[in-house]
Amino acid sequence: MRPFEYIRADDVASAVGLVSSDPKAHYLAGGTTQIDLMLKDGVLEPERLVDITRLPLRGIRRHGDVLHVGALVTMEELAADVTVTEQLPLVREALLGGASTQLRNMATIGGNLLQRTRCRYFRDPTVLSCNKRSPGSGCAAISGAARMHAILGASMHCIAVHASDLCVPLVALDAVAHIQGVGAQRRIPLADLYVLPGDRPDVENVLQHGELLTTIEIPLLPAGTRSGYLKIRDRSSYEFALTSAAVALAIDDGVITHPRVAFGGVGTIPWRSPEAEAVLRGASVNTQTFRAAADAAIHDTFTVTGTAFKVELAKRTLVRILQTLTEAG
Amino acid sequence: MTMAEAVPAALGPGVDRVDGRPKVLGAAHYPSDVTLPGMAHAALVRSTIAAGSIVRLDTARAADMLGVLTVITHENAGRLQKGKRNLFFPPPAAPLQDARISYHGQYVAVIVAETRQQAAAAARLIEVTYDRDEPVLTLDDAAASSQSNPYFIDMKRGDAKAAMATAEVTVEGTFTTSPETHNPLGPFTTVAQWHGDTLTVYDSTQNPFHVRAVLAASFGLAEDDVRVLSPYVGGGFGAGLRSWPHTILAALAARVVARPVQLSLTRPEMFTGVGHRPSTMQRLTIAATRDGKLVAIDHEGTSTASMGHEAPTRKPPTRKAPLQSLLKAPDEQPYPITAGTAAAYACPNVAARDKRVRLNIAPIAHMRAPGEAEGNFAIESLLDELSYELGMDPIDLRLRNYAEVQPQTGLPWSSKALRECYTVGAERFGWAQRDPTVGAMRDGRWLVGYGMAGVTFNHYQAKCHARATVHRDGTAHVCSGATDIGTGTYTVMTQLAAEVLGLPVDRVEFELGDTRLPQAPQAGGSGLTTALGSAVHNTCVALVQRVLTLVSDDADSPLRGCTIEDVVAHQGRLQHADDESRGETYSEILGRHGLSELTVDGDSAPSRAEAGVIVGSLVVSRLGRFGRKLVGASHATVPAGGFGARFVEVRVDPELGVLRIARIVSVNDAGRVVNEKLARSQIIGGTVGGIGMAIFEETVRDPDSGRVANATLSDYLIPVNADVPDIDVVFVGGPDPANPIGVKGVGEIGLVGVAAAIANGVYHATGRRIRSLPITIDKLL
Amino acid sequence: MRDSGKRAEGGRSSTVSLTVNGSGHDLTLDNRTTLLDALREHLALTGSKKGCDQGACGACTVLVDGRRVVSCLMLAAQCDGREVTTIEGLSPDGVLHPVQEAFVRHDGLQCGYCTPGQVMSAVALLAEGRAGSDQEIREFMSGNVCRCGAYPNIVAAIREVAACDAAV
Repeated sequence: MRPFEYIRADDVASAVGLVSSDPKAHYLAGGTTQIDLMLKDGVLEPERLVDITRLPLRGIRRHGDVLHVGALVTMEELAADVTVTEQLPLVREALLGGASTQLRNMATIGGNLLQRTRCRYFRDPTVLSCNKRSPGSGCAAISGAARMHAILGASMHCIAVHASDLCVPLVALDAVAHIQGVGAQRRIPLADLYVLPGDRPDVENVLQHGELLTTIEIPLLPAGTRSGYLKIRDRSSYEFALTSAAVALAIDDGVITHPRVAFGGVGTIPWRSPEAEAVLRGASVNTQTFRAAADAAIHDTFTVTGTAFKVELAKRTLVRILQTLTEAG
Repeated sequence: MTMAEAVPAALGPGVDRVDGRPKVLGAAHYPSDVTLPGMAHAALVRSTIAAGSIVRLDTARAADMLGVLTVITHENAGRLQKGKRNLFFPPPAAPLQDARISYHGQYVAVIVAETRQQAAAAARLIEVTYDRDEPVLTLDDAAASSQSNPYFIDMKRGDAKAAMATAEVTVEGTFTTSPETHNPLGPFTTVAQWHGDTLTVYDSTQNPFHVRAVLAASFGLAEDDVRVLSPYVGGGFGAGLRSWPHTILAALAARVVARPVQLSLTRPEMFTGVGHRPSTMQRLTIAATRDGKLVAIDHEGTSTASMGHEAPTRKPPTRKAPLQSLLKAPDEQPYPITAGTAAAYACPNVAARDKRVRLNIAPIAHMRAPGEAEGNFAIESLLDELSYELGMDPIDLRLRNYAEVQPQTGLPWSSKALRECYTVGAERFGWAQRDPTVGAMRDGRWLVGYGMAGVTFNHYQAKCHARATVHRDGTAHVCSGATDIGTGTYTVMTQLAAEVLGLPVDRVEFELGDTRLPQAPQAGGSGLTTALGSAVHNTCVALVQRVLTLVSDDADSPLRGCTIEDVVAHQGRLQHADDESRGETYSEILGRHGLSELTVDGDSAPSRAEAGVIVGSLVVSRLGRFGRKLVGASHATVPAGGFGARFVEVRVDPELGVLRIARIVSVNDAGRVVNEKLARSQIIGGTVGGIGMAIFEETVRDPDSGRVANATLSDYLIPVNADVPDIDVVFVGGPDPANPIGVKGVGEIGLVGVAAAIANGVYHATGRRIRSLPITIDKLL
Repeated sequence: MRDSGKRAEGGRSSTVSLTVNGSGHDLTLDNRTTLLDALREHLALTGSKKGCDQGACGACTVLVDGRRVVSCLMLAAQCDGREVTTIEGLSPDGVLHPVQEAFVRHDGLQCGYCTPGQVMSAVALLAEGRAGSDQEIREFMSGNVCRCGAYPNIVAAIREVAACDAAV
């Protein structure tokens, strides 16, 4: 890529000011996939990089029933957190199921939430048709090798998947992102942060250029809640999900209460499923219920040759994690 | 002097890899670690179409970039000569010679700049306009040109067709395997430096003398004026057997800028620049009697290849083309899939045919057990189907058809312990605990499957030279211009030399990886240990003889008048075999004769039987029973390659389609095992490669453009640590008399049979017969 | 807010202070330089290998402030003021680290190209306390790809060092 300016910010306001005032400026946090997109793939071409890694956005603090996680906390740090370990198994499992230890030591929570898709058509500038990279140019993945692609929220315009594992439990938990803009802060529920691609796959979230994600609020689950994250992939480790599901629920007298369900590996955005939750809520614990929830969740899919199998696989993934959680103890 | 007498000094199961220390220290220098004063960096631009031609190349913006030294394209590259004819390793088409494009990823420009970053950035600024033709990309494209019997080794015996017609039981299937990419972890790198009209390159290669020949031809140099250095290579798996255009381009770039140039392929470039395992399609029919005696095998295998040096065209090849391309100007590697079929089982009627289809894809390259792995997958899968059809244990079926002699020629094997592979493997694995009923074995949610496969691997040996020196300080230096791609060549050759010379291993240094050393063949075909080991052995024997000659009339020597049969070498000393006290050290001898060192050159060559087997097989093929009589009259022995048996336990989650490999037992007849620790590593490595082939690996191409769609190590899946279970490796059999050191190659055989054993295990667990590799989740849902 | 060190060449390069294997280095680097390229090309520490240059193989694994990272996906400039340990720093006096020794003894390597990354990762894994079982070792060593397939021997090497550590 072309040379760029590198600036290290040491307070939030100046970082936000630097990027907001310069359309060619990007933030740099843990590096990882962003460095890949810049230096190796040649997809991102910032003229200025504002390194935010020395900003004071690192702590994990508990405020009542909510965990406040600084955007610069790394995946490994969050996975090792005592509250996460004890009360948010679905978050810990999603974190440790993602990437490798080396990458988890580098990658930040903020970066994880705002990561770009792994679609190889997006990541290869020699591919001319990519609506996400060049709006209006088409989508080469649709007729290409699409196995790791989305079936939910997808369309002729884009089938790129949101590859984060962590986001799956976070949308299920109603996590909230704190956003710092120039002189203004706002709180955005994670579910509202992401934008379905529609006919503008280049627009991935509601953030304005220069807005900085500073903190994630993760509501803790009530005592007695069971939760888990199941990731299905070809390799046993170190691979993105073909499908995944994050689930939390309680069982009260043989009846499911407080269900939370989200899917990964299948959506153009982290995919919360209120439909599945509606089926589960108040239903009795059995495989028929689980299957009905899965059928309700995975509907209106957009599949291509390579992704057709994911419809059934995603359903079975949900059924399995529900079985596992309800069978235990 | 006999081998057995010298064994204790140097051999044994526990000799550590002699290059282990520099490797764990990060002190082993691979080509990408080489930095020369004034070195510039090159980057490549690759075509983004698979067929057609370049209409316009705009290099102005790239050339203007800070640090850029030159931009080379077909418009200014100048004339490069074509490499020397080579049947097994056809040289690449000379790069950047014209505007034609025959695959996606073909090099269209090379940029040289002061730094790596500058070169890479400038490469992105080159604008190429193409005139695009419709590429031919798949086996089943009607426009694809298919050659029958492209390697002239189609085999037959008896009359398979007639036997099929009356057979009691017949099974058949179509089997497909996916293209795979070698992906050695070390990106192939060339560092090129000119001194006047002589060229030195550091290169990632398994075949330095071939690279030397190709570079010499390309630039019109004498071979002696080209030096290729490759003391450490970051893996090969076959990708380094051929020479590649980037190596020529690095040398060209260095000549243009008159500075040393490093050209290191990026990982995506490794998917198109250094070959791949082609995709294959096989139709196989096996006929048998009810009691499990094979009566006929009909096997047709088709593999893909690049267009080679031909223009990208949809017109079918002329009738003459196959023979011409094979013998006059071979432009692709031969890739026979069914060649092993005629040698595997005692079956009276066999027909084995190969076909090759030319596509607009990057050149292929032999990849660990090329053709053997694919052919074995089909045969051993279909035999498993037959075993269910017959209600017979799969091991019994194989034993029932055991080839006591080489079945195509009827000649005896030099050695064969395949029966022990089956019995020892079954015992270690606990095959007797297998409930043969499909789906009967479970562990919680997991269905458990046991699968097995047998392996017959061909023998290969090429000519090889070595040099051995003993120094007055009692150390020895032995060398040959081979490579060690991780197989253990440094170590095993050190041991073999130490064994003959009667020196401790740490008193022997083995040097390789330099074409200034005596000529050695490629590290490939599982043949280097046989060829080089025999050369080292012969050379060291000759050195001992030379020492004895020195003292033959030396009145002061207790060894005066001794022949080599009279002595043993032990602890740096030659002594009478029947009286250890009468002898002296190398140091004493050299010292007394005023010599600082003594050097001899030596070599090894394959026996005539090596080529004889192929000729004999073809004679039988053409002349039938009469041919068999002729061949039998030669009283020759067939040099046997390795034999093996694989036993695999798989776990399948039937609802989720998830397949995991729980454990593997790999038993191999590898002849004499020089270093069990390292041989075991080779088998483990092959097994892991087999797991990759069976359940993960597939190079995917875009159906329209021919672009490799998964050209990264995140998208192209190779096994990671968590995918690999315990692998129990056992060696059976003993020294093979086909060569002086009694060895058989272990580099490839470990991979063969793994895919079939896994597929057979999957069938046993689930009742699903997967005939298409890799066996991924979507196929098991 | 401050700029990173002294900016040169119109801000296209930065001065970076790195402590590598205990010694301090001040380097002026093109901002595009990754930590891996800085180590290999500017400090001649070629033990850390470039296998994929995209964070997918682990051959470039080094420790930054004691944690294992892939140095190909970090800018050198990001590491200003950090402490970096590479394979060359593991045995400064030439005496093999126990992990290096175990890799040789168990033949946990073949071509050797992934080995420095495997060793660095294993050293970190032991420090993380993740060598409790073969299964755990396999999972947490899965970020280091070995194409030669030496995995079972790598696991054996780490298992042995972990057992020795536990015995102490």
